[in-house]
Amino acid sequence: MKSGVTFLVFFSLLISQYAQAESLVVYSGRKDKFIKPVVAAFTKETGIKVLLHSGSSTSLLNKLKLEGKNSQADLYISNDAGNLEKGKEMNLFLPVSADIAKVIPQKLRASDNSWIGLSARARVLVVNTNDKSVDFVKSVFDLVDPRLKGKLAITHSGNGSYIAGVTVYMESVGKKKTREWLAGMKINVDGKVFNKHSKIVKAVAKGKRSVGLVNHYYIYRHLKKYPKAPIKIVLPDQGKKDIGIAWNVAGIAMTKYSKNKKAAERFVAFVTSEKGQYLFANVNKEYPAREGIAAAAEVPKAGSYKVAPVAMQVLGQQRNATLDLIESVGMP
Amino acid sequence: MAHSFISVEKIKTRAPSLRGFLALLVVLAAAVPLLFVLFSSGQLSLQQWLNLWSNRLPELLWNTLSLAVFVAIGSMILGVSAAWWITRREFPGRRIAIWLMVLPLTIPTYVFAHIYTIMLEEEGWLGQLWLTAFPGTAIPEIFNIFGVTLVLVLAGFSYVFLLVRDALSRSQQDVEEAARIHGATPWQVFWRVNLPMLRPAIAAGIALVVLHVLSDFGAVSMLRYQTFTLSIYLQMSSRFDFQAAAGLSLVLVTLSLTFMVLERFFRNRQRYYGSGKSKKIAARKATYFEIIGIWFWLGLIAIFAFILPIAWMLSWSWQAWQQDLIDAEFWGYVSNSLTVSALAATLTVIAALPVALYHARERSAVSQGFLYLSNVGFVLPGPVIALGILSFVIAVMPSIYGGMAVLALAMMVRFLPLSIQAQEAAVQQLTPSIEQAARSLGANWYENLRRVILPIIKGGMATAWVLVFIDTLKELPATLLLRPTGFDTLPVRIWIEASEEMLELAAPASLMLVVGTLPVLWFLMREKSGK
Repeated sequence: MKSGVTFLVFFSLLISQYAQAESLVVYSGRKDKFIKPVVAAFTKETGIKVLLHSGSSTSLLNKLKLEGKNSQADLYISNDAGNLEKGKEMNLFLPVSADIAKVIPQKLRASDNSWIGLSARARVLVVNTNDKSVDFVKSVFDLVDPRLKGKLAITHSGNGSYIAGVTVYMESVGKKKTREWLAGMKINVDGKVFNKHSKIVKAVAKGKRSVGLVNHYYIYRHLKKYPKAPIKIVLPDQGKKDIGIAWNVAGIAMTKYSKNKKAAERFVAFVTSEKGQYLFANVNKEYPAREGIAAAAEVPKAGSYKVAPVAMQVLGQQRNATLDLIESVGMP
Repeated sequence: MAHSFISVEKIKTRAPSLRGFLALLVVLAAAVPLLFVLFSSGQLSLQQWLNLWSNRLPELLWNTLSLAVFVAIGSMILGVSAAWWITRREFPGRRIAIWLMVLPLTIPTYVFAHIYTIMLEEEGWLGQLWLTAFPGTAIPEIFNIFGVTLVLVLAGFSYVFLLVRDALSRSQQDVEEAARIHGATPWQVFWRVNLPMLRPAIAAGIALVVLHVLSDFGAVSMLRYQTFTLSIYLQMSSRFDFQAAAGLSLVLVTLSLTFMVLERFFRNRQRYYGSGKSKKIAARKATYFEIIGIWFWLGLIAIFAFILPIAWMLSWSWQAWQQDLIDAEFWGYVSNSLTVSALAATLTVIAALPVALYHARERSAVSQGFLYLSNVGFVLPGPVIALGILSFVIAVMPSIYGGMAVLALAMMVRFLPLSIQAQEAAVQQLTPSIEQAARSLGANWYENLRRVILPIIKGGMATAWVLVFIDTLKELPATLLLRPTGFDTLPVRIWIEASEEMLELAAPASLMLVVGTLPVLWFLMREKSGK
């Protein structure tokens, strides 16, 4: 009798489906602490429950592709436009209706609305204010100057934001120049790359390094914790002939085989609404993708500086080419 | 009389075929990832192979093999020295020392990697210590081969320790005495007598460590050291290039198999026989000088391999506790981990049974072949097993996808070899005559299984269950891909929190893994000393 019960429990566990049918399943590559407040606000407003499945953006996309029509996911959120465009290329998404998509500027979403950008970040320089010898740095291409040997801080080349940035530079100035640029940086980092952007900012603040290439919000995150840290933001490549700053967006897509399309579209409508946009972007001091929603006050105003005119879709289309380029230089 | 004759005949013809069929099913399931690798890499063109060969392989081979050699040497130094002192000297706290050398097994490699990364930062415990001791110098970097070696040695040397300790406590006194009588110094005795006799145990220990190095995913990906396993994972998940991943896997499998064959070959050639009568060596009482030396060395190992990591976990868990972060959600991860580990252990033990029974009864080329095939979990890295199982389930039986069954199946494939090994010894005690006796007394197959077979092999099954339970509890790569939607286990949370630098949450999860493995380790150690 006892063994019969054990047997039943064992098999019911084996065949059980953990996800409940009525809740919306979101594959999220965004940090839990940034996406959870958004999800909570959505559930509060609509009463629709959300089941969050967190992981890295790329491995979740991989999972989505492998699962095909058996996927339980209704929505996919990625921190990187490259992944979103890759998903579109692999035909994993379902376009969002134009009514919802139109509030987001065209260059921040897929051509067919199969993904929608939600928040943007800028690749900028963080500079130590005590080191006057690096004042000459006005462009990312100045980072290869021999005067910066041992003073430059960048992330390792597996970082998604870093890869997306390289794609933008490659599109703007060509492969040859980008390869030389990478090779020059490889010399200047002097054998040490950083595994987190936050550590770059920390190293610059402590004077271990003088210049770092980071996403803008890491600077403000550090300044919030240490308001007196001797660091400042430098917006690179703003001259007339310069390429402008590389942007990247985090965004959302509805999955092709969602069994909950209505609720999924409501979620997209929520995160692109004024309230949702403010919430989604400002928890991380990013730029809301929707025009007219203010970013955090301390962040340089969107539109006040030049952005490289590379469509976000290109970040996906050219990703493998970028990876090849980075590998051919042997960046650590 | 005639009745019993018929029964015996029946067993001979029918029972093995049922077992054979069940064994075949299990082995087929275990071979799925390998078939997937063969199939996908078969689609690579010659040109793609050449590209892989010239672009990726030299570096990967060099990285992986040099790491394996470093880790093998490191584990040997720590494992053999610790085992030697502990078996040959009687000193205060010897039992504690044994435990301290085994406890690191409760900490997975990715937790070691995470903790050492944090501790070696400027504000970290070791970073601060370093800067006080050597002001103005740079803290040693962990993101290189030495860092990875450190982590994998600390996480793996206990295997060498356990096997060598076993061998040393069985080794006999007369050979050593003969050497001493002929004027050998203690050092010479160690090099020329003990070490050669220990070679089989050391080889087995190192084989275990090296196989772990080849298939490690957690530490190498946290420390970004490109081995085969990490590169395969990156090919899959950042380039979506499954064929290249399969090609690299095939090379890795070949490498692991070569290594296993070589190890077996050397072990078979190195056999030493002692006469049964001679005395076992008794541990000598240590001098004061020796006690200080022993505890200095063992203490040093224990500090880095267990005490520091556990202190770190406790300290950050305390902070999490004070911030009320240990909530219902956290206990949910704990219960998820326990559920999936218990489920996988049960499934794996049941699946291993027909394979072990079939081989014990048949001893044929076919049953031997089954045994070899069931070893897939040893040689394929976790991400590839997960990928193979996922593709297979989706193509063949999509209805079970999304539940726990897929995850349990992948764990079964990964840990089947472990389970079969643990059960094989017990199964060998099961002679055909016992079963025939049961049958002739009128027992049907179910009664036979329940009242004859199971009681005899119960011990072996329990050990197997425990081993699979521990390994599933710590398993990371396959769980990451195959866990049911929203189903987070402790390793998954450690992985996520570590990438978000949420130390407060990675610590209690790691601590729960250690706590969860402890009773199991205690059970195993008791089994060992009971023998």
